[in-house]
Amino acid sequence: MANTIQLKRRIKTAQNVSKTTRAMQMIAASKMKRAQEAALATRAYVEKITMISKNLIHKLDYKSDHPYLVTNKSEKTLFMIFSPDKGLCGGLITALAKEYLTLHKDSDIFLVTVGKKIEIHAARSNNALIASFEFGTSLPTMDKVYPLVNLIDDYLLTGKVSSVKILSSNFINIFTQKPTIHTILPIKLTNNHNQKIIESFGLFEPSISEILPSLLKRFLEITVYQLLLESFVSEQSARMISMQNATDNAKDIIQDLTLEYNKARQAKITNEILDIAGGAISANT
Amino acid sequence: MVKLHLEVITPEKVVFKDEIDELFAPTLTGQIGILPNHIELLTKLHHGELIIKNNNQKQSIAVFGGFLEISNNKISILADYAIHARDIDISKSEEARNRAKELMQEKLNNSDFAKAESELLRSLLELRIATKHKRHNISNK
Repeated sequence: MANTIQLKRRIKTAQNVSKTTRAMQMIAASKMKRAQEAALATRAYVEKITMISKNLIHKLDYKSDHPYLVTNKSEKTLFMIFSPDKGLCGGLITALAKEYLTLHKDSDIFLVTVGKKIEIHAARSNNALIASFEFGTSLPTMDKVYPLVNLIDDYLLTGKVSSVKILSSNFINIFTQKPTIHTILPIKLTNNHNQKIIESFGLFEPSISEILPSLLKRFLEITVYQLLLESFVSEQSARMISMQNATDNAKDIIQDLTLEYNKARQAKITNEILDIAGGAISANT
Repeated sequence: MVKLHLEVITPEKVVFKDEIDELFAPTLTGQIGILPNHIELLTKLHHGELIIKNNNQKQSIAVFGGFLEISNNKISILADYAIHARDIDISKSEEARNRAKELMQEKLNNSDFAKAESELLRSLLELRIATKHKRHNISNK
């Protein structure tokens, strides 16, 4: 019967699919683990640099006119979106695109995209897309941050924009990632909530006006880097979960098809026996 | 005796975290020595060698830029890059140096050139410290 052969083929296909999705799930899981470790390792650095910057700005009452700290006259925003390069990660990209579309119908933004998937959406909207980068499929390195920060400097220092925002996936847990908008510039560090502040620094070498800019730049770089890492963790965990679901679905299909196949096989045997029995009866009479 | 608490942190990991007696650090304005009860200080680091003295034992760490903060006998070093002298792989550093040199020979745009240059500086620093460290170890034995 042709039907059994067809069913067999479909079972085979489902098996291949489940193998592929299983492999992708495992790759995503290992990438996620590495990324999580990297994110944890960065935390010590981030905490320290945040504390130093906070102390520096807060304690000294240093009325800085550093462009990272003040709002200039421009009403435009530099808007960055981090998304994966590749799909197959559940609703992650759709959620990002939705967030972007609902929030930015106004044209007061310059757009920068990181990741091919969001670039497609961004190109379709009316906003000025000034640059797009690839996200890559491996753990983001610090090298990825520098061109982004250079771009920010370009636009901020020339007064083209007054603030910088980043839309990226916020990693809540393995099952949930939420697209979130972070305002990274101007830097707001003054809202200290009962964190202890150490006594003011005695000495600055060479001088505070030389240290502060590089400290703030470093702070900006590490903030961007952290968001990149978090996006990566989100992407991998979303992919892991969606691939796990795909594997489970494929298993279900295999089970259903196998059942159908066995039924068809049994029906075929029964028919054959009936035929033989029928033949034997007619021969005997 | 009062000790200093030293932390050397890079974006990748915490490289060093322990109590020490004395620290020599390369700052932008020259090398400084830090003893317990040092005045509070915030300074920028140059690339160079951190020399850590503890119980008459010397350790050295290669650092590549960053910040140094001292407060209440706690030293925090936020380095862009740092590695223990004993962990430096000389053959790898040499390879990196040669690669960077080659890259710099080619016509590169500004950012790539800067990257190659910092790679070169880093590998040269690593080599310098590693060879010094090795000599030191041999003469100790």
